[in-house]
Amino acid sequence: MTALVVLALSLPCVYWPFSAETRSPLDAAGITQICVPPDRVDSWRAAGFTVTPLTDAELAARERLPAPGTTPRPGIASPTRAPWIDASGWRFARHPAAKYVYDLPAGKAPLAAAEAFAYGVDAVLKIDLADPADAVRLGQMLTFLASLPPLDLPAVADVGIVDDGSVATGEVMNLLARRNLLFQVVQSASSGFPVTIRIGTPEYTREEAADPSAFAQKIRRQLTDERRALRVYGSEVVICRLTADAGRARLHLVNYGGREIEGLRIRVRGTYGGGEVHVAGAGRLALEDRVVSGDATEFTIPRIATYAVVDLGSAR
Amino acid sequence: MHRRSFVRLLAAAPLAGTLQKFSGIPALRVESNYAPAKVPGMPGPYPGRVVSVKSDKAVDIPTGRADDAIVREMMAQGMRTLTGAASTADAWRRFFQPADVVGIKVNCGGYPHCISAYEIVAEVVRQLTGVGVPATQIYVYERFQNQMDECNYAPHLPEGVQIVAAERANRNVDNSGYDPATYLEADLFGEEDTRSNIMRLVSQRLTKIINIPNMKDHGATGVTGCLKNVAYGSFSNVARTHSRGKSYTYSVVGTLAAMEPLRSRTVLQIMDGLRGVWHGGPFARTTRYVFYPRQIMFATDPVAVDRLLLDIIDNERRAHGAISIWDRSPASLKIDDGRARDADPNVNIIIREPGHVEYASTLGLGVHDLKKIKVEQLTV
Repeated sequence: MTALVVLALSLPCVYWPFSAETRSPLDAAGITQICVPPDRVDSWRAAGFTVTPLTDAELAARERLPAPGTTPRPGIASPTRAPWIDASGWRFARHPAAKYVYDLPAGKAPLAAAEAFAYGVDAVLKIDLADPADAVRLGQMLTFLASLPPLDLPAVADVGIVDDGSVATGEVMNLLARRNLLFQVVQSASSGFPVTIRIGTPEYTREEAADPSAFAQKIRRQLTDERRALRVYGSEVVICRLTADAGRARLHLVNYGGREIEGLRIRVRGTYGGGEVHVAGAGRLALEDRVVSGDATEFTIPRIATYAVVDLGSAR
Repeated sequence: MHRRSFVRLLAAAPLAGTLQKFSGIPALRVESNYAPAKVPGMPGPYPGRVVSVKSDKAVDIPTGRADDAIVREMMAQGMRTLTGAASTADAWRRFFQPADVVGIKVNCGGYPHCISAYEIVAEVVRQLTGVGVPATQIYVYERFQNQMDECNYAPHLPEGVQIVAAERANRNVDNSGYDPATYLEADLFGEEDTRSNIMRLVSQRLTKIINIPNMKDHGATGVTGCLKNVAYGSFSNVARTHSRGKSYTYSVVGTLAAMEPLRSRTVLQIMDGLRGVWHGGPFARTTRYVFYPRQIMFATDPVAVDRLLLDIIDNERRAHGAISIWDRSPASLKIDDGRARDADPNVNIIIREPGHVEYASTLGLGVHDLKKIKVEQLTV
């Protein structure tokens, strides 16, 4: 029961400020949990919805997030292979207890829901459901997220970063996350990670941090690819969150590219015996071409459209 | 199967003294479970040998149309001369048995004006079926299905021949057609996806490969000949080797071509020079840079053919007053400006690496020294 409560809390909430008479798109999409203004709570509950009251002030106090996805940035990112990605995972890692709100254009809600869920944050989705198909896709994503077996494991990181609260440090976190260089915010430079960053020190100067992409590459070189807890092959637009304990691991994969990817190859540090992948839109699938090599486990995810979760078990 | 996995630190490789100076050769790690054949297909039984068959009648230049009968005769003479066989069928039997599963690596990138000629591909298929290879065991392949669809070889081939690609298009989303266990790993520009995997078709299905490139200029490699066509056309994620003016093709082309099982299974090189592209390659969206060598080369040694190709393309460029494929001048470089490149043959968008051909010779793929290459010229 506790796990179910935790799960329900971690599901992003659809903000619906309208009266209960506007329920038809929600019904069509199978969306049954919504956040509404306090004065509408009773009518929505009477209509059979699971409702969380949300005042205008509470909504305004939430940190606003950009719509996730790829964005053309000529001269900064390759438009085809490695496009600029608007992703908020780094924000969630920086402030996991904060409350967030997405103000989403049409078509972005499923991806935003997946992104927020992957990091287990408290997020509200302000959505544009002008296109009924959009609502259906969001409903399908929320249903999928709710169906995932609960598993709350500690986040895995290779890099510690001391957060001075600056924009520059935030941009470094953004680019680390963009490259699947798993980081954790720490209080001091002696964090025990292979690499710990404190911007403003001789080793990690502010001048270097002004180019966060190059800075992230520097961190990658210091860490080395061999020591990374996670590698992704076959796409430059999938950003992951890895959680694990001594025997199990859960890997969240968010595809920001907007196109289904077939055959995504993953390398996870550690030896894992079995596993499966839950793919939004496709259900539970077997991992393919699994091999354990050295101190890492590799496998292929047959397909991923927007979001997938891999659960790995310990080797016997 | 013998497991072979090694790190090839190319920066430390013993390079020939005549090699152009090249800085920044990256570390390349080859991962393959495949052992080489006793006699690998490249350079095969005829290292340093090239048979070149020319015919002024092969292509009608005003229309660009090839003469099917002439092409057949060029093919027959070329194969017999290369092998010394008394008959054309015997020449093909030197390479192929009925049990073989044969891949034909075509080049579709130069559509519509310069692709592996329908007449040549059809004749290859005709000869293969003639020596007993079932049509269903013949695969015409490329990396991208949309390019194959454009070229549409099907009407020119007998029923049963497989026409396949690894990816729907060049979008970096279809990986299932590639073998996750056989790849080249390299971090070239800081990209996250550091692997280039071989097509499953090549590693898991084919027993032999026939390589049919075109005589084309290439903006990153200088030319796209035998080596480039079979290497970059059989592995994923290769466009990452050239970006923003810089090209790592110098070492990557040869390293991919030398990877098993590609090296062992690629047994025949048929360089389609009926048409060529002297600038703007590998594409040929207009006829402006198309020329007509009207020749076909036959070899087992891809390096020898490509060594000749370097001069063919450079001579054609010189005839048009264009800069050499060896030009490395910053003044010629307009990074990523494809329009400028297409408009002006004296513009590079990347500094080309025609030295990749010589580099491939250092990997044992063939003979680069012109003095050691024996060219037999035939005319039809």
